[in-house]
Amino acid sequence: MVVLVMLLGAFPVVIFLSLFFEGIDRKLYARMQKRIGPPIIQPFYDFVKLLNKESIFPVTASKTIFASVPIIAAASSILAAAIPLVSLATGASVLGDLILITYLLAMSSILVMIGGSSSGNPYGAIGFSRKVVMLIGYEVPLLTSILALSLKSKFSFSYIDVVMTQVEIGTCFALASPGAAMAAIAFLLCMPAATGVVPFDIPEAKTEIIHGYLVEYSGPYLAFAKLAKDASSFALSFLAFTLFFYHPPLLEDFALMGRLISIILIFIFTFIVMFFTITIPRTIFARLKIGQAFKFYWRYPLALSILAVIFVNVGL
Amino acid sequence: MADETREVRYDYSRLIVPVGPVHPALKEPVHFKVTVRKEEVVDVSLRLGHVHRGIEALAETRNLVQAMYLIERICGICSHSHTTCFVGALEEIANAQPSERALYLRTLIFELERLHSHLLFLGVMAYEIGFDTLFMFTWHSRETVLDLFEEITGNRIHHSMNVIGGVRWDIDHRMEEKIASSMSKMRKAAQYIRDVFQDKTVEKRLSRIGLLDHNMARELCTVGPTARGSGLKMDIRKDDPYAAYGELKDSFSVVTRTEGDAYARTEVRIHELFETINIIDTILDRLPSGTIRPKETVLRSMSRMPQGEAVSRVEAPRGELLYFVRTDGKGGLRRLKVRTPTLANIVGLRYMLIGNEIADIPVVVASIDPCLSCANRITIIDREGGDARVVDLEALRRKRRWSF
Repeated sequence: MVVLVMLLGAFPVVIFLSLFFEGIDRKLYARMQKRIGPPIIQPFYDFVKLLNKESIFPVTASKTIFASVPIIAAASSILAAAIPLVSLATGASVLGDLILITYLLAMSSILVMIGGSSSGNPYGAIGFSRKVVMLIGYEVPLLTSILALSLKSKFSFSYIDVVMTQVEIGTCFALASPGAAMAAIAFLLCMPAATGVVPFDIPEAKTEIIHGYLVEYSGPYLAFAKLAKDASSFALSFLAFTLFFYHPPLLEDFALMGRLISIILIFIFTFIVMFFTITIPRTIFARLKIGQAFKFYWRYPLALSILAVIFVNVGL
Repeated sequence: MADETREVRYDYSRLIVPVGPVHPALKEPVHFKVTVRKEEVVDVSLRLGHVHRGIEALAETRNLVQAMYLIERICGICSHSHTTCFVGALEEIANAQPSERALYLRTLIFELERLHSHLLFLGVMAYEIGFDTLFMFTWHSRETVLDLFEEITGNRIHHSMNVIGGVRWDIDHRMEEKIASSMSKMRKAAQYIRDVFQDKTVEKRLSRIGLLDHNMARELCTVGPTARGSGLKMDIRKDDPYAAYGELKDSFSVVTRTEGDAYARTEVRIHELFETINIIDTILDRLPSGTIRPKETVLRSMSRMPQGEAVSRVEAPRGELLYFVRTDGKGGLRRLKVRTPTLANIVGLRYMLIGNEIADIPVVVASIDPCLSCANRITIIDREGGDARVVDLEALRRKRRWSF
């Protein structure tokens, strides 16, 4: 019961953090381009502004799906961030929640995509087909690298067990063994595609297909679709940090101040992960084409993650 | 009508995607009806005319000085090209020869304009392939040129530099130095841009895209960097020199590429940046002294304009720009005909687009650097019969019922 209350309590925290992180990300992105950039709280302004705007439903859309999908998508990606957050704060172990989290993240992508294609817009349809290809491209290596981790922590699919294994062995997985390090690299390589940023923002390429599946959304529904995206990029960065880089000597030595400092540190490191996997790629690359992106994902991250599973199995 | 039901049969193997008139990839309104099968483009139909302004007809109702003001506003990027071309025709009719210094200054502004136009193109190209950082960087460098314009002429875009028989503004020694130092800065920026455009992700997006082979480029009468990217060695500055280009011929070379793809067209423009900087440096070295415009007033030179006709052409940043001018001998125009480079290049787009992917549409369209408001013509489409016809001037006059 307490866990359930905390889970609900974590919702505003996740919303705040994901919007705040997007603000910092946009600021840094702008500074790297010699621009001044928006204020850090710009995403909050945008969110509130969009909530107050009018929503237009295209006549070709199937209304129920079109309207309900962004809200469910936002809820599922916020939940995907809230579960590990609460689980880490309370130490509560839930059987198989790692699988739940990854499915919630995939769910939020699939839902927004379905919403776009239900709009009846040809750009939404193209965005849908591109997103399907991208999903097949990055979900497989993403799941395989998580599988490698769970093998490493005595085949447990519980999030807190994986984190606590790092505490037990006294170092983070990325430094512990070559197998886990490969899994970490595969996971990080999948992040730009999973969050949909350049060079892998192909399903919503604005110069090609006008934001793809977002094309017909407006008002509160657009706000929720964007929130879903922000929350899922926060959730992914948080997962990437805690699963692969949770280095106990760095985080657990604050006995005096308790867990507060370590939680703040975790958020800072989460942002650093986000900076290197989302902000930097979108600054320094041009957008790839769908075929090129798919080829990339099945060539490098997939090979790496399969190798990681093999390495972990033989005990490296 | 409302209860009449129509059976709609969808052909799901082909999807017609409307690109434009409003589309984030297009800076100006043009409409492409693109038929796609999965991601492949199988057919394209093109429609212009969303921003037709009737400038040719309007110019014929005005006197020469007013027309010059109007003509500068045909294009927001190559405004000086348009007036140089127009003034070239007028000077041929009046048999007036501007002073050497005026010609050099005209050429200076012309080349600065090419610099800013090419930088604008490179930024747009980077934006189309999703490389926003490069886009921001090139446009940041472009500001340097625009600031120079503002200091020389007082305007960033519409410079109002040309008058009949000369130019309006002179530059002093301090300005020369400033241009020279800006040019060395520009050269560094251009080198950086060239290096970044050799990035792998950029090359992946641009090479072997929007192919236009040598023969097809000739057959479709493409001009400018589009033609030079397909290996046609043509440049009005060399072939038919105007302004001061006759004396500057040795200070630049014509950049050509034989690949004929979007990357070649981009590369031609990148290398032309260096050629342009060379020309500007040479102009600053050789700038002759003298007056910049005739003593008589504009109104006098306008009223002394005899009746006559002339064809003039210049190499605008996007290619050959052609004017036909017929004066009426009373300080006005009887006929003005403008053939902008985009109008020559845009017919090649269909050929370039077919066989590419949807992701390549913005890249291919941007690769000819279209300047659409220059290229608009009126087409009236009969919706019942579905046939289109272009309205000629006489019909337009009849419709308008204006007297001349």
